Amino acid sequence: MKFENRAPAEGINSSPENPLIELGWLLAGSLGVIVALVIVTSLAAQWIAPRIPYRYEAKLAATLPPFATAPDNEAGRQVQAELQELADRLAARLDMPDGMVVRIGYRDDRTVNAFATIGGQAVFFRGLLAKLDNENALAMVMAHELAHLKFRHASAALGRGVAVGVILSVVSAELARNAAAGVLSQASMATLLSFNRDQEREADEAALRALHAEYGHVGGAIDLFDVLARLPGEQRESKIASVEFLRTHPLTANRIEAIKQWAVENGAPIDGPRRPLPPAIAALRKAAAS
Amino acid sequence: MLDLIEFGIFIVLLIVGFFAGTIVEKRHYASIRQRERQYADVLAFSVRFPPDRVTPQRAFLVHGTVVISSDYFKTFVAGLRNLFGGRVRTYETLMERARREALLRLKHDARRQGAKLVICVRFETTTISTGYAASIEVFAYGTALIPDRESAIAFGARSGVAA
Repeated sequence: MKFENRAPAEGINSSPENPLIELGWLLAGSLGVIVALVIVTSLAAQWIAPRIPYRYEAKLAATLPPFATAPDNEAGRQVQAELQELADRLAARLDMPDGMVVRIGYRDDRTVNAFATIGGQAVFFRGLLAKLDNENALAMVMAHELAHLKFRHASAALGRGVAVGVILSVVSAELARNAAAGVLSQASMATLLSFNRDQEREADEAALRALHAEYGHVGGAIDLFDVLARLPGEQRESKIASVEFLRTHPLTANRIEAIKQWAVENGAPIDGPRRPLPPAIAALRKAAAS
Repeated sequence: MLDLIEFGIFIVLLIVGFFAGTIVEKRHYASIRQRERQYADVLAFSVRFPPDRVTPQRAFLVHGTVVISSDYFKTFVAGLRNLFGGRVRTYETLMERARREALLRLKHDARRQGAKLVICVRFETTTISTGYAASIEVFAYGTALIPDRESAIAFGARSGVAA
């Protein structure tokens, strides 16, 4: 037997393949899996959340600080009371979920916005109220927000947010050593708490039905979108981090078309007598004009 | 904004890890190949008994140990690989370099003590740390043999066996 040492063979125990190619495949694969998982989970949660009885949502909302508050002054409380009165009238026409008590908040802020959130709460900003010149237009916003509450869209958004958050935290635990996981989860979370276009369309349609039932015509909706269409771009951006009224909405011009079409299909007049705004809300517009 | 900075840092680390890691690896391989030729005269085997069982030998333990670290890029790719399974190619080169380096240091130790033959060579691996500072230790040890003419003569004289 003859013993000898030979030079170790190259390329058997390690691959000469460029590691960047491997990185590319792995990155594409893992991102694909995460995206698919997030989409499936978010759709599932979005479907399930509004089907959970409303009382659980109310319980959850009770643990959070209330959104539907008013500024601590007489004028602010009056505006809130007027908004609440209008909401109660429209809610009666919207067939709200069992046990939902609608509460409307008012914020003395120049943001042109309104939003609906969990626990039957909706919040209006002075900036938006000061742009409207009749009750019918205000009623369109109100009915739209109430429709979001009726269809439990905030609940769906929250359910989606929580479910996707859970998925991503599990994924990032799995990826434990990957700093990328944190980046991925943050990027996906940013888009979660908003309503999608279908939800907006659904809310618009329900709002138009309520408007038609309340006033006999849907002129308020046209007035509202005329006002919105005239807004400079930056005012359509909202400061509020929660559910937004303007940014996620279908393009204003499309919505006016959709209203007219809806009116034709449902035999609703698109014009009719407008009702004046309640006094405290009307005062906001005067104050803004002076 | 903070997320963007974090992401930026991550990308920079990845790029630095890739280029620094690639350069270090290339240099290491070049040095390994050069020294493998240099130590070609020191033979190392995994057999348990000396090839030449007749000649008496002086035997002693020799070893070589090396600690080698992964880089950010390798660890990241390996982390992704953990999700899907398969060959962790980025670690294969790491382990190969570590084993060859440990064997070279063992040969260096053997030659330093005058031995040209090491048998019963074994490898052991220890993970020093995991996570982003993943590094491993590879330890090679074996029994170095030096043919011992003097003691062979003495042994032969005592037992009456001719050397």
